[in-house]
Amino acid sequence: MGGNTSSLVIDRLCDQSRQGGLAVAWLYCDYNVGQEQTIVNMMGAILKRLVDRKIPEDIRKAFEEGRRPTLADLMRMLRIAIASLPQVYICIDALDECLPNDLPELLGSLKDIVRESPRTRIFLTGRPHVREAIQRYFIKAVTIPISPKEEDIRNYVVMRLDKDDTPKAMNNHLRGEILRIILEKMADMYVGVSPLYLGFILTDGCVDSSLSH
Amino acid sequence: MANATYAQTITFGDNNVNCGNTIWSYKTIYNSDDDAKIMHWLSPLLPDNRHHSVRTNRFEGVGDWLLETSEFQEWRSGEGGADQAVLFCSGDPGVGKTYLRSVAGFF
Repeated sequence: MGGNTSSLVIDRLCDQSRQGGLAVAWLYCDYNVGQEQTIVNMMGAILKRLVDRKIPEDIRKAFEEGRRPTLADLMRMLRIAIASLPQVYICIDALDECLPNDLPELLGSLKDIVRESPRTRIFLTGRPHVREAIQRYFIKAVTIPISPKEEDIRNYVVMRLDKDDTPKAMNNHLRGEILRIILEKMADMYVGVSPLYLGFILTDGCVDSSLSH
Repeated sequence: MANATYAQTITFGDNNVNCGNTIWSYKTIYNSDDDAKIMHWLSPLLPDNRHHSVRTNRFEGVGDWLLETSEFQEWRSGEGGADQAVLFCSGDPGVGKTYLRSVAGFF
């Protein structure tokens, strides 16, 4: 399961929302959700996050009418909710896991939201191939490729060392050596390897053989 | 099935004084049964649950560099208007974790 990047961004934005003024809504697309992951339910999920503090009257009334909300209903409610908030962030994880037919509609709906409230910020993640679809709706979307960084390994190793069961056996020199050797080994293994192929390499037993050398 | 999942996250009829904080809390507590029903009516999807489980399994400190990039900071500032509304992080899911699991093999 992915979602690491999105969850970090969501947490960072939520931390700031405590200082007031920000509202953060999110959605993790997931093949496994199946038929419930419709465009209507996806926009509804975003709206839920924005109104759960205080449900607006228009939503209450629509609910009391007793029929299922349509996409048009939800977009209207979203526009009202967003307009009433100073700054809204919408984060959607794994766009490639939304049904192919729903993707254009989802991006089109986000585009409508931004057109109406230009301060709205949209954070998206997905496999590289969805970039083309995104740029059809948001020509100037900024793309950041996510691949493992040396700093990530460093942080992870430090975290593992901090959890060491035998702290008495550890000292700064040993810590430094462990970190240095691991980073060197990782660099040897993955120089010039695109992250795309990393998964295949790792499942091929390459790590084990490289460690035993 | 949908109802069962629904019940996990929503506490009915709890007049919790902290409910004003729910915009950033992960367990949403509604003021009344009606509020909970309205939320379910808006969408049966439960993004809060998913977020909670993703962050529980997250490797702490990994990926933090993104938050420090100028692209992220500019996007977050909201100054750019509609043109700069979207930030897209592209990658193959799980690659970072697979990579770190291989680091874990060193321990």
